[in-house]
Amino acid sequence: MKVWRGLTLALIACLVLGVAAAQDPTTMRITWWGSQDRHDRTIEVISLFEAANPGLSVEYEFSSWGDYWTRVNTQAAGGQMACIMQHDYRYLGEWQSRGLLLPLDEFVASGVIDTSNIAPSQLAGGELGGQLYGINLGSNSQAFMVDLDLLAQAGLELPANDWTWADFEEMALAIHDRLGVWAIGATLPDEALWKSLYLGLGGWGSNVEGTALGYDDDQPLIDYFNMIMRLQDAGAIPNQQEATEMADLGPEQAPIVTQRAVMDYRWSNQVVAVWSAAGEDRNFALLPLPRVDGGAWADYMKPSLFLSNPSQCDQPELAAQFIDFFVNDLEANDVLFAERGVPVTTAVVDHLRPNLERAQAVMFDFLNLAAADASPVPPADPPGWGDVLNNVYDPLFADRVLYRQITPEQGVVILREEANDILSANE
Amino acid sequence: MDHTDPVTTDLAGRRVDAAGETTAARVTDGTRLAGRARRRDRAREDGASAGRRNDLAGYLFISPWLVGFFLFGLIPMGISLFLAFTDYDILGDWSWIGLDNFERMFTRDIRFRSSVIATFRYVALSVPLRLLFALAIAMLLNTRRRGVYWYRAAYYIPSVLGASVAVAIMWRQLFGSQGVINAVTAMLGLPRTSWLGNPDTAIWTLVILALWQFGSPMLIFLAGLRQIPRELYEASEIDGASYWSQFLRITLPLLTPIIFFNLIMQTISGFKVFTQAFLITGGAPLDTTLFYSLYLYQRAFESFQMGYAAAVAWVLLAIIAVLTFFSFRLSSYWVFYETDVK
Amino acid sequence: MRASVNRSLLDGADQVLHRRRQRRSTARAVLYHVGVGLFGLLMLYPVMWLFASALKGPGEVWTNVTSLIPQAWRWENFSDGWRGFGGITFATFYKNSFIYAGGATLISVTASAFVAYGFARVRFRGKAFWFAVMMLTIMLPEQVLLIPQYIIFARLGWLNTFYPLLLPHMAGSVFFILLIVQFIRGIPRELDEAAVIDGANQFALFGRVILPQLTPALITAAIFSFYWTWEDFLQPLIYLTDPRMYTVSVALRSFADPGGVTNWGAVFAMLALSLVPVFVIFVFFQRYIVDGIATSGLK
Repeated sequence: MKVWRGLTLALIACLVLGVAAAQDPTTMRITWWGSQDRHDRTIEVISLFEAANPGLSVEYEFSSWGDYWTRVNTQAAGGQMACIMQHDYRYLGEWQSRGLLLPLDEFVASGVIDTSNIAPSQLAGGELGGQLYGINLGSNSQAFMVDLDLLAQAGLELPANDWTWADFEEMALAIHDRLGVWAIGATLPDEALWKSLYLGLGGWGSNVEGTALGYDDDQPLIDYFNMIMRLQDAGAIPNQQEATEMADLGPEQAPIVTQRAVMDYRWSNQVVAVWSAAGEDRNFALLPLPRVDGGAWADYMKPSLFLSNPSQCDQPELAAQFIDFFVNDLEANDVLFAERGVPVTTAVVDHLRPNLERAQAVMFDFLNLAAADASPVPPADPPGWGDVLNNVYDPLFADRVLYRQITPEQGVVILREEANDILSANE
Repeated sequence: MDHTDPVTTDLAGRRVDAAGETTAARVTDGTRLAGRARRRDRAREDGASAGRRNDLAGYLFISPWLVGFFLFGLIPMGISLFLAFTDYDILGDWSWIGLDNFERMFTRDIRFRSSVIATFRYVALSVPLRLLFALAIAMLLNTRRRGVYWYRAAYYIPSVLGASVAVAIMWRQLFGSQGVINAVTAMLGLPRTSWLGNPDTAIWTLVILALWQFGSPMLIFLAGLRQIPRELYEASEIDGASYWSQFLRITLPLLTPIIFFNLIMQTISGFKVFTQAFLITGGAPLDTTLFYSLYLYQRAFESFQMGYAAAVAWVLLAIIAVLTFFSFRLSSYWVFYETDVK
Repeated sequence: MRASVNRSLLDGADQVLHRRRQRRSTARAVLYHVGVGLFGLLMLYPVMWLFASALKGPGEVWTNVTSLIPQAWRWENFSDGWRGFGGITFATFYKNSFIYAGGATLISVTASAFVAYGFARVRFRGKAFWFAVMMLTIMLPEQVLLIPQYIIFARLGWLNTFYPLLLPHMAGSVFFILLIVQFIRGIPRELDEAAVIDGANQFALFGRVILPQLTPALITAAIFSFYWTWEDFLQPLIYLTDPRMYTVSVALRSFADPGGVTNWGAVFAMLALSLVPVFVIFVFFQRYIVDGIATSGLK
């Protein structure tokens, strides 16, 4: 009896194993960063893709922005990259220059990735050396969110779209005088504003070849930081100690949410998160960035994120299919709901538009406005730019100046020297 | 103090004499002194034991460590040493650049300097204070009063929880601007400080965390205190010695080996601190808490400059080695071993 | 302070002195207990605060900060927190942590016992040299080894497995080895000699004579090993990149990321929960821990 039972079990085991072996689903990995909201949405889209492609399983890894590049870089070192990765402007150039990304042009040409509904200018952001290395997942532009109710309380009017930093400073001081709250949070030293400052003056953070800073005149930067310090001294924005403590906060915890500040500087795709954290009943407007006196519009359409195909992937075609699905599939985008920015595919935009909530509608409208007037997309950050930000701009320049350890005049010298030192390696 | 004395052992393997008291242990320090003592011991030990030399058995027994040391220690160390002379950045081609990394580190890297200063500051602040606390509390607990068991547990619990992520995250909230510490200082009428945002105070949040966990050195001191023969104190009392002079003449000298041990161990671990700095301050503000290990991590995993980071790591190793070496050298001036008194 | 004195044996003057001394010693005792006790409470305050905050509602956590008693005991914080993130509950994270901590402990303690016996009881050529080398490795910061180790493991295809986390423990731990060595040195040799006379070789000596007596040291080592690996953060962060493989320490850090937290009560609940195994082991095995530290320090 026991023998028979044993044999039967063994047989069943073999069958099961055999079946399992036969099925052997193809697996693919994807990595991304983001907030919990983004994780949940993306995971849902993945299951949609798996449902549409039986036998295919997609394994995913996600993390916060802070951890993401640690992870993926060490994976790259070990030859263990996923097949699809979310990428960013800041590092796209670096990865491409090391041959870590596959160009997607062949898939676009063969139609695996359908770009018929995507404007070429949207694709341009992911292009390096004439080839496409990442598909833009959403357009973004920088904005100042303004709490209309508080503004009315202060008896002030919404500035025009071409307001300047001088207008901003005046308004900020007035807000603080009349309401006693901050005019804006601690985001003014953000590096994106540094770059935009010079964009409006015809320059950029880095020069075209990526070998040095993209501007010669340090005075606007000095003026800008002097303005920040004046506002700090007046109490119109958080002082540097408070700013340090607020450094990690996400959109949901921005001071504007709890009405501790009247304005907030955000990338447009984060506006939705801020608005929903603040509450549906609040009234916000989006303003373009203030410009330097005499300068041009300081905004540009930034590809918010990319989906790229690392060259270590052994199934590039499948990966391309997923990218196509992500960007074009209507049902998938219903789930994603523009959380990564306004989709680049016009068909998707049209599909989503009737269902937009107020926050997203405002965001979409703002982007239309920006698209009409903004400067052309600047080149992706050169290799070493991350190093410039992490090891020079923040710790040696911005922090030191704002903690009053050095003057802006001294700071810009250090900034220029060290940044050029790092970038000169690109020659 | 002969090992082969006919004594019994308590459960912990400590020698217990007829009176039920543990006798003072033979204290050994690190390599130099211990080597001599050990060789003496071994001659006696092995003579008394079954041991004719048994190389095969010996190496078989230590093989787990030996193999592990080669695979996960020596070889990676060699690779890391090699990397230190290259500009390997994990993502692509690299080349041999000789001493460039070291030159950059010592002459041009401002943040490296900050991190060395921050680390030395941390060690200089936390280690002596921690040992002082540990010794003071150990002396307080070195009595036969009731409840000492519970007090000892209470003082040791923070060390138990110490290195955990949970405590670090909690600590950060404790010192946050809305946290308990600020609430308490507000109640006392003091102005509100941004503990984590003020460059002068941020390092103290980490130092206080280290102080809070004085449990381990405290236990070691306690054990050491318990082994000082009571007769010495009683004799000195008869001679009319005050409490303070008892401390200076009896307690302290006999404790010096243990102080030395604790000093070395705490200093080395102080230089390696990472998790707390990473989770609580992230090096901010103004790099005042950019501890060496944290800076190394940033260079390796955020800037991806592996070659440079490897060079930085080797410099850390050198610093620790030099400090330890000098500590041992200086120790003969102030560390007092019972075995020296003959 | 000492045993009670038989008062009838004292004469009048001595009796007065004795009573005065007793009063002083009672006063001292009170002072002692109050001082040491209060300070002890202060030491425990952060821990108590953590557990208290774990039970506070989202509104209360930051408004009623210092209080150790929540207004309404929100046990839901635990169930809310347990849900984790991205559809992965803390059950997975705890499982991973136990695999890591349990496996590492088993391997580490076993290896350490073997190695310790080799150094403590066996004579062999080069013993002093290797012992010295082993002592030197204490000074090695893990960062020196981190990068090359990662590259090796990655090329072996062992990312997102437990191999990189468990295998290095086959070398044992220098602390445990030293602890056990000292312990073995305290074991009298009579039993050894008796066994040798009976014809036992080294391995039999180890297995039959020494090992059974090592239990206290092994328990101590096991406890410490469990603690260190349970709380380990950097290794799992680097090697376990799939969120489903996260250990509790890494999961907590993502879960408590200040940028994304909405429910601090749930976060504190999970933080507190992660300390519970640590507490439990401490309560049950306090003696081993304390003795272990003491012996390792002394020798």
